Amino acid sequence: MKRLIGGIAGGLVALGAAFAQDSGWNGPKDGDVGMLPAASKLAEEVHFFHNGVLMPIITIISVFVLALLLYVVFRYNVKSNPVPRKFSHNTLVEVIWTGVPILILLVIAFFSFDLLYKEDVIPDGKQIVARGDGATTDFPFANDFPASRTAAAPKHVQVFKGTAAGAEGLVHGRDYTLEGLGSATVTVKFAAAPAAGETVVIRAGRSLVGAGAAKEIALAPTMTLKAVGYQWGWSYAYPDFGDFEFVSNMLPEDKTTPELYRFDVDNRVVVPVGETIRIVTTARDVIHAFALPNFAIKIDAVPGRINETWFKADREGVFFGQCSEICGVRHSAMPIAVEVVSRPKFEAWVDSQRAQAGLEPMFGAAREKFAAADAAAAQ
Amino acid sequence: MAHSHTHDGHAHDALKAGHDHAHGRADHAHDHKPSFFVRWLFSTNHKDIGTLYLIFAIMAGIIGGAMSGLMRWELAEPGIQVLNAFVPTGTEAEAEHFYNVLITYHGLIMIFFMVMPALIGGFGNWFVPIMIGAPDMAFPRMNNISFWLYGASGILLTLSIFAPAYQTYTGFAGGWVLYPPLSSNTGHPGPAMDLLILSLHLAGASSILGAINFITTIFNMRAPGMTLHKMPLFAWAVLVTAFLLVLSLPVLAGAITMLLTDRNFNTAFFDPSAGGDPILFQHLFWFFGHPEVYILILPAFGIISHIVSTFSKKPIFGYLGMAYAMVAIGFVGFIVWAHHMYTVGLSVDMKAYFVAATMVIAVPTGIKIFSWIATMWGGSIEFKTPMLWAVGFIFLFTVGGVTGVVLANAGVDHYLHDTYYVVAHFHYVLSLGAVFGIFAAWYYWFAKMTGKMYREWLGKLHFWVMFAGVNLIFFPQHFLGLQGMPRRYIDYPLAFAEWNYWSSVGYAVTLVGMVIFAITMFDAFFIYRKKAPANPWGEGATTLEWTLPSPPPFHQFNELPRFDKGDAHAFH
Repeated sequence: MKRLIGGIAGGLVALGAAFAQDSGWNGPKDGDVGMLPAASKLAEEVHFFHNGVLMPIITIISVFVLALLLYVVFRYNVKSNPVPRKFSHNTLVEVIWTGVPILILLVIAFFSFDLLYKEDVIPDGKQIVARGDGATTDFPFANDFPASRTAAAPKHVQVFKGTAAGAEGLVHGRDYTLEGLGSATVTVKFAAAPAAGETVVIRAGRSLVGAGAAKEIALAPTMTLKAVGYQWGWSYAYPDFGDFEFVSNMLPEDKTTPELYRFDVDNRVVVPVGETIRIVTTARDVIHAFALPNFAIKIDAVPGRINETWFKADREGVFFGQCSEICGVRHSAMPIAVEVVSRPKFEAWVDSQRAQAGLEPMFGAAREKFAAADAAAAQ
Repeated sequence: MAHSHTHDGHAHDALKAGHDHAHGRADHAHDHKPSFFVRWLFSTNHKDIGTLYLIFAIMAGIIGGAMSGLMRWELAEPGIQVLNAFVPTGTEAEAEHFYNVLITYHGLIMIFFMVMPALIGGFGNWFVPIMIGAPDMAFPRMNNISFWLYGASGILLTLSIFAPAYQTYTGFAGGWVLYPPLSSNTGHPGPAMDLLILSLHLAGASSILGAINFITTIFNMRAPGMTLHKMPLFAWAVLVTAFLLVLSLPVLAGAITMLLTDRNFNTAFFDPSAGGDPILFQHLFWFFGHPEVYILILPAFGIISHIVSTFSKKPIFGYLGMAYAMVAIGFVGFIVWAHHMYTVGLSVDMKAYFVAATMVIAVPTGIKIFSWIATMWGGSIEFKTPMLWAVGFIFLFTVGGVTGVVLANAGVDHYLHDTYYVVAHFHYVLSLGAVFGIFAAWYYWFAKMTGKMYREWLGKLHFWVMFAGVNLIFFPQHFLGLQGMPRRYIDYPLAFAEWNYWSSVGYAVTLVGMVIFAITMFDAFFIYRKKAPANPWGEGATTLEWTLPSPPPFHQFNELPRFDKGDAHAFH
C-alpha cells in the first residue's frame, strides 16, 4: 500500500516537475486545468493530497451518484416501471450510506491533519555536518529540541554522505544504528567508518515533508522575510541582513510583456534556494493576503497582527503570486514575485541591497575579513 | 409528507374531508377579498404575502443577475474595457471600484434579497401553513411587517449603491463579507457603508420576525393529529431554517452594530490601532455566515424531497432520517464557521478542529442525497419539469458538495482559499443548488399558486438551456482556481483568458435560459391560459396543498383537516 501511494505520488510529482522544467515558466498556462507546478517538497505533498487522494475520491463519488441517477432514470421511469413500489425503509442501506462516508472521511483526515501540521508548524529540524577520518564510526549530536519535538524514532533522523544533503546521498537505515533516541544526546553509529575526508550530514527533526518515498526532514528557517501589505503593493524587509527594506509595485502594462502583466513587479523578492524561509506578514491599512501557489502558501496580512508561514524552494526560478484578500480599488494590481537563486547570487544581491541602504557589505570579501577578525580574537 | 407515508387509502379519505370544507369556504371567501390596496399593502394573508415575497425576489434576481452579467462581460477578455463605459469618470480606477461594487451587491442581493425571500418568505409563507393544515401564519400582522421591512431594507441597499463610499466613488466595494478595516473608515469613509449596515439591520430584523412566526406557527398550529414526526419535510426544513435565523442573525446584527459605532462613534472593536481586532469581526460574521448558507439551502432540500416523492409516486425514503439529517446539518452548521478563515492566522489546533467538524457535515448531506435516490428507486417516475430541476439539483449539489470536502481540508485550502475554486464551489451549491431548488418549487407550485398551467415543453427547454449554461459558467472556474486565479479580480493575466472566456459564454447561454423562462411565464399567463386542476401531478402528490383548489381560496381550513382518526397517521 505504502509503495503504491509512493508510486502514484512519485508519478504525479515527476509529471509536475517535467511540466515545470519544460519552459522554466512556473505560472498558469492558458487552458490548463490542474494545480501550478510544485516548487517545494511541501507543495508536492499538497499536490499528492489533492491529486492523489481527494480528486480520485470526489470523482468516484460524483460518478457514482451520477450513475445511480442515470440508472434510476432509465430503469424506473413511468414507461419501464408503470407500478411504483411502496417501500420507504431499509435499515441496512441506511447504515451503509452513513458508515461508508465516515470511513472515507477518516481516510481523508489521516492525510489532512498530517499535512496541516507540517504546513502550520514552522520546522525546527537541525543539520549537523561532520567529516569522516576513516576510523570514527560514532557521530553524536545534541537532541536539544523542546520536549514534544525531540528525535525519538528512527524516522526523525536522516543521514547523508557526500557533499550535498540531497536524496542521492541518503544513507540507508541498515548502514547505521541510532543510540539514545529521545535522550539528550543521540549517536549515529555507522557499521563501517566513513572514509577520511567524506562528509557526513545528519538531519534531525519531526517535520518530515514530501510526497511518497522522497520525504525529507525540514530544517529550521535560515532567514526571515518580512512582507507588509498596503494599498496597493508590498514592502519587503530582510531583518537578518540589516533590515534593509524595499517597495515592490506591479509593473504597468507598457513596462512588461503581455504574459507577465499583472504578475511582474519592479522589485522582486530574492531568496536562496534549498533553505527554509520564514515569512512574517502584516498590513498597514486593510487586510491583504500573501500568496505563492507554487509553494502552496497563502497567509493573510492583517493590520495589528503578525502572521507567519514558511517555504523552502527546491529549485531556482521566478515564482508569482497575487494578493488574495479583497483590499479595495487596485486589489488585482498588487502581485508578488519571488526570485529563487543560488546562495552566492543571493549573497551578492543582499550586499547590493545593503549598499543601497548605506550598509557595509556582509558577504564575499567582507565575510573573509570578519572571519579573520574572529580568528584573531579567538587567539 | 404526511400522506406519502401511508400504505393505504384511508389517509386520502381524511384529506378529502378537508378538501370539501375548503371548497365550501372558498365560495364564501371569494366575496370577502379586500380591495386592491388593502389586500396588497396591508396584507395579513400568508398567501398574498408569499406572492409579494416572490415578486420581490424576482425583481432582486433580475438586478443581481444583471450585475453578474456585467461582471462576466468585463471578464470575458483580459484587460479593463467594459466597466469604464459604465462609470461617470470613465477611468480605470473607478471601473475597478465599480467591479468591486458589483461583486459586493451581487452577493448581498442574491443572498438576502433573492434566495431568502423566494424560499422562506415566498414558498415558506405560501405552503407551510397549508401543509400543516393551518388557516394562516400565527402572527399575520407581524408577517406583514416582516415583508415591508424587507422593502425598506431594499431601499436602503439601493441608496447605498449611489451614496459616496471611497474618494469620489459610490457604493461599498469590499465584498459581501464586509471585513473591516476595508469596511471601516480606513477603507470606505463615506456613508454608503452606513446605509448598507442599516439595510442589513432591517433585513435581519425582518428575517428574525419571520422566523419567529414560522416557529410559532409550526409548533402551535399543526392540524389535530399532525405530530412533528408526521409533518411534511418542507415544513421541517423551514422549521430548522427558522431556528438558524433566530440564532445566527442577532450575531450579525451585533457585529455590524459594532462596525457602525466604530465608524461613527469612535469605538475601536475592530480597529487594531486602538486595541481592536479585525479578526473578531470575521469570527462574528462567519458565526452568522456559515449557518446562513444552510439557511439558503435547507428549504430547497425540503422542496426537492416533495418533488422527488411526488413524481416517483413513492413515499419519501427514510423520512425520519431526512428530517433529522436537516436538524444535524443545522446544528453542525453552527460549529464550523472558521473554515472560512483558514488563512487569517488561526492556531494550527484550531484549524484541525474546524477541519474535522466541517467534514462531519458530509455525512448527513450524504444521507439526504442517497435517500432522494432511494426514493426514486422502484418508483414510476414522470419527468415533468419540476422533476428535471430536482434531479439536476441532486447531481449538481453533489458536485458542489464534494468540492466542499476538498476545501474543508485546511492543508489544501491554503492553496485554494480566495481563488475561483471557491467561487465555483459555492455557486454549485447556491446558484446551481438553491436556485435550481427555487425553479423546481416554482414549476411544482406554479399551478397551485396561480391556477394556471405552463407549457410543459417550454419549462423543460428552460431547464436544459439553463443546466448547460450554469455548468459552462461554473465548471471552468474550478480550473481557474486550481491554476491560482484569485477571486474578486477585475483583470487577470493572459494565462487565465481561455476559461474566463468560456465562463462568460456560459453566462450568455444562461441568459437565453432566463429569456425562455420569461417567455414560459408570459405564455402561461396571457397565451396558454390553461386552468389548473386542484392536483395536476396525480397520485404522488399527497400533501395538503393538493387537496385545495388551484389557486387556493383566500382563507383555507376554516374547519381543520384531522390526522388523528383512522389510519391517517400510519407512516412507517
